[in-house]
Formats: sequence, C-alpha cells, structure tokens
Amino acid sequence: MTFTSVQPTEVASPRSPSAPPLVTIEGLHVTFERGGRDVRALRGVDLSIAPGEILGVVGESGSGKSVLGLSMLGLLPTEPPPRLEGSIEVCGVDVVHADDDTRRRLRRRHLGAIFQDPMTSLNPTMRIGRQLAEVAGTEAEAVRLLDAVGVPEPKRRLRSFPHELSGGLRQRVMIAMAVAGEPSLVVADEPTTALDVTVQAQILELLGHLRDELGCSFVLVTHDLGVAAQVSDRIAVLYGGRIAEVGAAADVLERPAHPYTVGLLRSRLTLQARRAGPLPTLIGEPPDPRAHPPGCAFAPRCTLHVDACDETLPDLVSAGGHPGVAACIRLDVPLAEEVALVDAWPEVEAVSAIEPAVRLTAVFKDFELKSGWRSKEVLHALRGVDLEVAEGESVALVGESGCGKSTLLRAIAGLLPIDDGAIALGPGARPQMVFQDAGASLTPWLTVGELIGERLRSEGCGRSERDRRVREALQLVGLPAEVAEAKAVQLSGGQRQRVALARATVVPPEVLLCDEPTSALDVSLAATVLNLLGRLRRELGMAMLFVTHDLGAARVVGDRIAVMYLGRIVEVGPAEEVASAPQHPYTQALLGAVPGVGAAARRTRLEGEPASPLRPPSGCAFHPRCSQAVDACHTDGPELVTLRGSSGHRVACGPAHAAGGWG
Amino acid sequence: MALAEPYVAPALRGRFGRTRRRTRWSSVSHVDQIAIGALVAVTLLAVVTPWIAPHSATRPAGTSLVHPFHGFVFGTDEVGRDVFSRVLYGLRTSWLAALLVIASGVLIGGLIGLVAGAAGGWIDNVLMRITDAFLSLPGPILAIAVVAALGPSLSHTLIAVMIVWWPFYARIVRGEVRALAARPHLEAARLAGVGRVRLAVRHLLPGAIPATVVTASLDVGNLVLTLAALSFLGLGAPAPAPELGAMAARGLPYLLEQWWVPVMPGLGVLFLALVSNLAGDGLRDLIGDR
Repeated sequence: MTFTSVQPTEVASPRSPSAPPLVTIEGLHVTFERGGRDVRALRGVDLSIAPGEILGVVGESGSGKSVLGLSMLGLLPTEPPPRLEGSIEVCGVDVVHADDDTRRRLRRRHLGAIFQDPMTSLNPTMRIGRQLAEVAGTEAEAVRLLDAVGVPEPKRRLRSFPHELSGGLRQRVMIAMAVAGEPSLVVADEPTTALDVTVQAQILELLGHLRDELGCSFVLVTHDLGVAAQVSDRIAVLYGGRIAEVGAAADVLERPAHPYTVGLLRSRLTLQARRAGPLPTLIGEPPDPRAHPPGCAFAPRCTLHVDACDETLPDLVSAGGHPGVAACIRLDVPLAEEVALVDAWPEVEAVSAIEPAVRLTAVFKDFELKSGWRSKEVLHALRGVDLEVAEGESVALVGESGCGKSTLLRAIAGLLPIDDGAIALGPGARPQMVFQDAGASLTPWLTVGELIGERLRSEGCGRSERDRRVREALQLVGLPAEVAEAKAVQLSGGQRQRVALARATVVPPEVLLCDEPTSALDVSLAATVLNLLGRLRRELGMAMLFVTHDLGAARVVGDRIAVMYLGRIVEVGPAEEVASAPQHPYTQALLGAVPGVGAAARRTRLEGEPASPLRPPSGCAFHPRCSQAVDACHTDGPELVTLRGSSGHRVACGPAHAAGGWG
Repeated sequence: MALAEPYVAPALRGRFGRTRRRTRWSSVSHVDQIAIGALVAVTLLAVVTPWIAPHSATRPAGTSLVHPFHGFVFGTDEVGRDVFSRVLYGLRTSWLAALLVIASGVLIGGLIGLVAGAAGGWIDNVLMRITDAFLSLPGPILAIAVVAALGPSLSHTLIAVMIVWWPFYARIVRGEVRALAARPHLEAARLAGVGRVRLAVRHLLPGAIPATVVTASLDVGNLVLTLAALSFLGLGAPAPAPELGAMAARGLPYLLEQWWVPVMPGLGVLFLALVSNLAGDGLRDLIGDR
C-alpha cells in the first residue's frame, strides 16, 4: 500500500544514531483529577529521542500529545498535582523525581520550548530585546539569535513590543528564545497551528535549519501528519494516551501499520483527494480521556476490530511493514485496500441562465480603527470584490488571515453593512452561516431543540410541528433525537458542528455560508463534516460559499475556487483547474505551502507575510512578495481577465496577462 | 433520508447537567455552604418573626435594664422592652428592606441595562449618561433631603436609597450584555431570524443573571450597613420602631454599664452583613461565570 499524497522531505538522518538517547521515557502514566473524575492523559508511553533528531508527535485532541511534551519539560500543570508513574529521563536527569531546582537548571541549560501562540508566551509589557537578553545574556547575542531565526532588521526589532510584530515574527522570536543557550532539546507544541500556511512553511523550514546548525533535538507536537512529515526524522502517532505507532517518518507515512495511522492518512485532505464523491472517513470520534475503554482505545472506530481488541491493551510490537513498532494485535491482517468508493455525488444540473444565488459587484468595506488619542486608521477589508455563486453551486473562497474572506461572508449574511458596491441575493430563504467555532455560535443556556426551533418561529409553525421538524433536521445531520434536550456544553466538538448545521438547514437557505467550519475540528472529524456538507447542499439544493485557508479542503468542497488576497479576488475558476494549473503567483505559492504535498523541488517558497490591510501596497497588492513582479505591478492594479478557451478561469495578474492566452 | 456515512454519536455528557450541579455544590467551601444555609434561614426568620418573637417589640415586657439571661435572652432596654424581640423585629425590617431595595435595583437597573446593552448606539449612550447622573448622587445626603422634605419614615428613606441604588445594577447588566452581544452566538441568533425582544430576553439576559445574582447577594450586606447607618443618624422609622441602627444609636449612653442595649442590635447588623457576604461568595462559586 502506498500513499503518494504525503511525502516526507529529504532530511539528514540523526547525527549519531548509535549515541545514547537524549530522552528516555518508560511506562509513563499521567493522570489529572478534574471535577472529581480522573482524566487519564497518558496511559503507558515508551519513547526515546536520539541527539539531533526531530521527532514528530502526532495526535488528535485528547490524545495526550501536549501532556507528553510538557512532561519532558517538567512543566505539567501543578494545580491540582498530576499523578505520574513511570520514568522520564532527559539529558541524564530524572524529571519525575527531581526537585524543582534541578528541573529548573535542566530547563535553563538543556531545554527550550515553543508554544502555539507566541502572543501568550511572550511578556506583553517587555520589549523583545530585554526578553531575549534574559535568556541570551547580552544584546549582541540577542541580535545574533534574531538574525539566525530570520528576523529582518534584528537591531531595530529589539525595541519592539510583542504586539507590534506579526504572528510569524513573534513565533520566530519565540524560537530564538528557545534556542538561546544552545539547548539539547527543544519541545515545539503546535508551533505553526496559529500561522498562515505560507508562514507555516517558512517556520517548519527554519526548524529543520536550526537542527542542522545547532545539532539539537526537536520534539514537534502537532495534530497534522502533513506538518510532521515536513521535517521529522521519526514520527510517533498517539491515540488515547498511548502510542499507536512509531517509526521513521517515511515508513510511517508510506507503509503505515496501525489502522489508526492508515485512517488518519486516508482522511487527510490533500490535493489528490477524490472530488467526485464522499471522502473516506474514520467513523466515530476520539475517545473521552475520562472514560477509556479497557482494551484498545481505537477499537470502537476500527475496521479490523475483533472481540479480543476490547479485552487487553495492545503492546507495541514490530510493525512488520517497516522497522518501527505499532500497538495492534491485528497487524498480521492486511488492511483492506482503500475501499472502492463507488458512491459518487449525484450530478447537479448545471444551472446557467437563472439568477445567481449571490451576485457581488465591486463590494468595498473599510473599518475604522482607533490608533491612539483622536487618531484613526482605516483598515481596507474589502477592496472591490466581484463574485457570483450560481444556484446550487459551491464556491470555495481561499485566503490567508486578514484577506477579508470572513468580512465578505458576514457582509453577504447581512451582519455587516457594506460601504460601496452591491450584494444581490436570490429570492429564496435568507442566507445562513456555519461558524468556525460551532460551540460559540450556540447560545449556551438554550437547548439544541430551542435553538433549531427558533428559525421555525418566524414561519408560524406550531409547537408540535416545530418539534417534528427539529427531529428531522437532527436526523438529517446524523444526530439522535434526544440531542434536542441537550445544551451545547454537553456535546462534543463534532456534535456541536452538526447541531450548527442542523440549525442552518432546518429551513434550507438559498445559500449556505461556511466560515472555516472544519478548521477547529480534529483531522478525523473534518472529512466527516465536509461529507455532510457535500451531501446536505446537494440534497437540499443549496448554493454554498465556503471560506477556508486550506486549498486542499477548497478543492474538495468547491465546484469553483476563488482566491483572495488583501480584499480582492486574484484568481477564480473551476476547482480542479485552479488547483492543478494555478495562474496567479499567489495561488501557486499557496499550493506550494500545503503541507505534505509534492517534492521539495517543486515548491515555490513564499517570502514574507501578507501585507497589512491598513496599508495595502499600491498597484497589485501582492507585488512586494511576488517573484514575477515587474515595474508595472507597482502601479497598475490588474483586473480579472478570463483565460481564453477556459470555462471561466479568471486571473488578476499583469505579467500573466502579458504572457498571452487571455482576453 | 438515509445517512451517507456511518456516524457513532458519543454519549451525551451528563444528562441535563444534573451531575454538574452536584459537583458544583461540593466545590463550595463549608463556611460558604453554612452561610448560604443561614441566608435561607434568615429570610424564613424574617417572614415568621411576628409568630415567634417572645414579646412585643414596642411595649415593655418586664423591668428595665435586666441583664441578659435573667429571664430575657438579650436582657431588656431602658423602658423594659425585650431586646431579643426588638432585635428579631429589627432583623426583619432590615432584611426585608434590603431585599426590597435590591429587588427594585435589579428590576429597574436590569431593565435599563438590558435595553442599553441590547440596543447599543445612541440609546445605549443616552441611558448610560442618565445612569451616570444618578450614580453621582450622594446617597446619604439625598436621604437627608428626602426625609427633610417628606418627614422621617422608613419608606421615605427606602425611596431615597432606591433612587441611588439601581444605577449600579444598570451598569453591571449593561456590561455583561455588551460582552455577550459581541459573541458569535448573538450573530448566529440574528441570522436565524430571532426578533429583537426575544434576542434580548432569551439570548442575552440569561447570561447576565449569574453576575447579577452574585453581586446582589454581596450587596445585601452593604445595604444592611447603609440602612443601619442611616437609621443610626435618625433617618429611619421614628422612635419606638425596632430598627437595628436606631437601637444602637439610642442605646449608646448605656454602652459602659448596660452594654447589651447597644451591642445586641450591633451584633444583629454584623450577623446580617457577614452572612450575606459569605453567602455571596458561596453563590459565586455555585453559579460561577457561566
């Protein structure tokens, strides 16, 4: 079985494979007590890390991956004190039994840490220079470190406060602090999750460089196998507080042994994923760390499940397919080849002549921000957006943070007034929206039944009629009827997203607006929700505008893809065409940044970060980052022009137009 | 319509939140649990005082200035009235008056805060400036003015206190509602076509209740002290009425020889203030921040 979709980049093997391991973890159990119940975060983990090695620790929420990272640092939350069993030895220090002083010395001399959100881990009241000097010693050293992690103009940056830096720069500063004093081990917990894809690619590359230069080991904790694949030498897959599989990155990605790893790889959204029908998914949801089953935690979701799986915890045994190990008693049973997915989406009739569901004409929206005493700055969120969504059509809107994609959605939903231009909606029911954080979009003190039923009130439905339609809506999204009695806190993340979807579709709107509905979900759940969306919109005949930062998801979800940069559409066209033959340099760079796709050689690495919508560059807003920019790009803002012979593939790029084939 | 993909729904977490409530009660410290119990007891006591007080509060029950525990639990005062009965009636008056003022504050302030917070814009501005104007009135001086104009009476004092008390609640409710209004669930509700009134009452107001209840219960102690202070200054019910502050004030000359005359009503005030403060802390743990 091969997976062509995820390919590890070439990485140097660990410096000295025969040297004694830097970190040895044996039989590690970590249990927290929350609200009178035991939360078993780790349930027997054995792991070792060689000097100079990058270990990717991959797992979904609740898998214990962050706890594993923190316990290596000796930084587990102390209130209430967790119960630890087993041993962790880091650089010769027994972290479990050492006193606070020893642990602090260990961290100071040998360890570094990088967390997801540098804004919360940097001190907001201190200048970067002073914070760095605390760990680096001298200012000169601080400058050298900033330079080493690729912060431009390091001297000037020393005087900045954390909030004055962009997310990518802040993360670089955090990395500089982590590697100050040449640590032996750096634990990076989701270091790129809060960053845009193009910046994520830069940061991952930086981690690889730093390993080569400093020779230190990295533990890269992430939920995304693709991110781990970029730089890791070895990958450990965690599930339900135990290791499911460990092996060399290439082996785990190409010859996965554990059914969970296989499932994860299959449900990953890649640019090769099937578009014609539902995506392969893992059934069910990750286990609740408060109530693990007695046997294999993955058994309830496993296709190879037999009764013996429920009885004992599986031990790590030789994976068979590769030199690594996996915890499964059914390794000898060949996993079924990817199930031949015969069920395809029904053909949706091409609707052409009738009015579109949404027509945007030159939509502008500015926000005024207070920037001090009596002074204001103007944030140009939308700078002339033209877009049409035909009836029953799905358009995926792709862009990085700050490009205005969410503003556009909220404007279409009627939640924001626009400054200029026109938004014309079809005659059907009002647009509905599915939010990124489904939990926050559900009023916490109302029951699901009340929330869904509310939309029926305006239709003058009676009580029993409402109850019936609520039950139907819940059934349609795959939830049992008793969920109607529950409140949002009682539901899991996946269930909340389903409830939000049921609420949006109980009266099917003409157009369904989706604001990154899967980005907060676990990898194995995201595909399920996308399938649900795909089915609902076809069954209910809704048009859909799906906002995402992930081109992989956009390609699967959208009939067409629109790429947005700094408040403008820069490219729009049929999904497959945009994803396979992107014309705009920005789209090309976005594609290159999708983790785990293609060989290193094919990448167009994008420098810098998205420009600020406070001061959009003149001409084509993308020109400061563009490798193909010519002089005219600095002054002329290009219009969207249709590619000749294509079915509506339009691009706004001067040099591309000049190359011909347009008009 | 059949489901296109298999989906195993995980069990709902806790049926209807009953288990959660139980763990919350056990998370409240024992002192606070006792205080919450005492709060309920005091309210009951205030209601049934006329039936359980051993003597009249205004007519002499024995000889004057009898020591405590010599036939009278708290002794008698200078005209022979039973101090225990007077303190009981005093507690009743203070407690019910405090609840009345708080209730009026929560109702008036809550309504204004809810309207201001839910409407936003100029309505918010106008209502909040009016609130600020009332907030700037000095309570005791207003009370003196009202009593001077209308004559000394408990109800006049209460009217004065009510006038200065509600702005506080208007601010709290408005702040909570504003914070809630910025959350996605409000946008989701607006998109679902929920009307203005229902939006305010069902989607915003419940979120402001915990903070308001906690503040109100902490405020009872404050108010008991304020009312006692005003009545100590003579701004309460006229002479024979049993009021804790006034009793302490008129009993002051006896402090050195017949200490129980001023001290017992003082202890009554202390007890009320302490119970309501502790119970407020307990309620905060119990209700929490959502």
